Amino acid sequence: MNETPEEKMKHLDEMTLLLYIERQLDRARGLEVSAHTQECDACGTLLRALERESRLLTRAMLEEDEPLPSRLAQFQERARKSMQWIWGLVFGLAATGVYALYTGYIQPWQTELEKAGFGGSNLLGLLIFQGAMWKGWQSMVTFLEVLAMVTLAGLGAMFFRRRIRRGSALALVFAGFCTVLAVPPGALATEFRKGDSVKVEKDETIKGDTYLTGARVRVDGTVDGDLIVFCQSLDIGGHVTGDVLTFSQSARVTGQVDGNIRGANNNLTITGTIGKNVMVFDETFTLEPGAKIGGSLTSFAEGFGLEGSVGRDVLAFFAHGSIAGKIEGAVRAKGDSLEIGSTAVIEGPVRFEGHKQPEVSSSAKLASPVEFKYFEKKHDYQGSDYYIWRVIWTAAFILFGMVLFLLVPKFARETISAAESYGAPIGLGILVFFGVPIAAIIACFTVVGIPLAIFTAGFWILMVCCAELVVGAVVGNLILGRTTDTWGTIGRMALGFVIVRIVYTPLGHVHVLGILAGLGIWMWGMGAISLALYRRFQPVIAPNAPSAPYTPPMPPNTTVGGPLPA
Amino acid sequence: MNAPGITEPTEVITRARAGDAEAWGELYREYAPAIFRFCRRALPTREDAEDATMEIFMKLKGKLGQYDATRSFSAWLYKVSANHCWDMLRRRRIRQDKETDDVENVPLEHPDPSQLELLIEQRTSEEVRKALDKMSGRARMALVMRYYSDMSYDEIADALGVRRAFVGVVLLRARHELRQALEGNAALAAGGAS
Repeated sequence: MNETPEEKMKHLDEMTLLLYIERQLDRARGLEVSAHTQECDACGTLLRALERESRLLTRAMLEEDEPLPSRLAQFQERARKSMQWIWGLVFGLAATGVYALYTGYIQPWQTELEKAGFGGSNLLGLLIFQGAMWKGWQSMVTFLEVLAMVTLAGLGAMFFRRRIRRGSALALVFAGFCTVLAVPPGALATEFRKGDSVKVEKDETIKGDTYLTGARVRVDGTVDGDLIVFCQSLDIGGHVTGDVLTFSQSARVTGQVDGNIRGANNNLTITGTIGKNVMVFDETFTLEPGAKIGGSLTSFAEGFGLEGSVGRDVLAFFAHGSIAGKIEGAVRAKGDSLEIGSTAVIEGPVRFEGHKQPEVSSSAKLASPVEFKYFEKKHDYQGSDYYIWRVIWTAAFILFGMVLFLLVPKFARETISAAESYGAPIGLGILVFFGVPIAAIIACFTVVGIPLAIFTAGFWILMVCCAELVVGAVVGNLILGRTTDTWGTIGRMALGFVIVRIVYTPLGHVHVLGILAGLGIWMWGMGAISLALYRRFQPVIAPNAPSAPYTPPMPPNTTVGGPLPA
Repeated sequence: MNAPGITEPTEVITRARAGDAEAWGELYREYAPAIFRFCRRALPTREDAEDATMEIFMKLKGKLGQYDATRSFSAWLYKVSANHCWDMLRRRRIRQDKETDDVENVPLEHPDPSQLELLIEQRTSEEVRKALDKMSGRARMALVMRYYSDMSYDEIADALGVRRAFVGVVLLRARHELRQALEGNAALAAGGAS
């Protein structure tokens, strides 16, 4: 190859020849390269070598040198079967869980309440379905119904998708959903009042449900509907034809309420007349002499005083209780001490479970002697049931986590990854743990934000449930190392979760340590979920950014490498 | 651009898109070997390739709705596979930091045409496959996309996240890396024989 320097400079570079055989050059340049390679031996040889290299590469790539692994050959069938198994297990366990919940918690309550003379009602029914605590519950029930319908529609769509086209399935779902939404809701007239001092004047009548918020609320007039109050001090001296829902520091009812009274207050004093039932969570509850409750009374209070009359049964949990009024039904009470005064009249049986014998005046008129049961504090963890339930709950949580990991594997991995940075998720977790409930409560006060508050609170509870799973997954990763495989992640989550439970359970019995450990886990996990959500909703700045550092692009017809060898 | 030896089963694809599990199974049986081989060439180990194949088909189930039926199914499938494999390699690269990007900036030596011809003539397909295993992720990925699945420069640029004008450079650098690996294999073989 005795070429002059001028001839050397005319040789084509390897890049140009590669682009030529790859048909990436424009027609004119392609013709030039073609002509040159026919005349120039060196370039012709290089071109042939590159072509042979391309053929060798293609052949090496396409040759079937190894068969499809049996793991892959059976994957389709296995995946189908494994999913069937998972869903079978999920539904089976869910059904078992519902049954266990019913038989373990709801049914005993129901039985106890029935024994206490509540005539077939149960706490859930008492709270929600029977004496309507608040019309808002109806909205909640409707909301739950809609959610349930959407879920059912989703399942229906999944079912139909196997048989009909995606578009038709979606049309079906949307049609169903629209039908549900198209059902007209009942007309609702609502009055909102707020301020430092809110009043319903004596000669004033409000038609419809009324929401009152303020430092001091006074109702001297008539509310023809339900009354919902958030305040520091409440005084109802007028007439409420519906139910009263109250959240206040101090509440006093001197007037008449035709419906129920429900609520949570520091102090609640009733001197007026309540047509139906009362269910309250208070520090101090007092039913003054002359006050009357037409239905039943359910009270959770530290101090409980009953001097008025109750038309039906009384269920009370308290530290110190005293009864000096008239009860036309049964009494079931649980607390530290109970005093039954000389003016007391109780027409049904009285059962008291407490630390001290009740002090019963000899002048008290009782249908039967007080049935007393000494309340023995027994540590839960001394019984085998405790451990069985711990195992069941652990398994249920792992299953819950598994379903979540399978439903949203990418988000689950992002959450675990966020949790592994420790500082940021814990910091954010503290904010979310305390901030979200406060925000939900504030939203409640704005009244129109109640559905938002309910949704937020629900999401917060879901995050609390998932927090321990996230921490479990991080612990699992620390022990077994990280993996990108979904089942591997699930396995690590399960292992870590069991370890967290084993460590956390004994800590839970040491009061302060248990609280701290629980808070730590919740905040860490919730922070990680929040961080992953935050990152998920961040705008993507450069989805196609090259992973390698920027290298200036080379135009197709420029020379690559050094000069041609001599 | 079809998977080697496969005619596109349009009707099965349509049924699979509509959610027919049987059609989905047929698609899997039809395309899994080609996708496994793609992953086997692109990823460092057999286990990785098996995992990737399963993950691609799981992913595909959710993505099938995005497939434009007027275009080649195989081409789309390879694009999804390439993106998945490249994501896997990139994640490892970030974590393990095995590769250095300095290699990208080294100027390429112009090959001696006759020596290159000799090198290519003497090498078998099996040797090329072994050499591929020694190459960096990006170089191997580029060669696989171009010479296994016949992806266009635009598609390669899109998958690797580089500009189209840079694809030729990536491929040329990959060939140089392959030649070095082939020479290394030959030197090892010679050393072993002596």
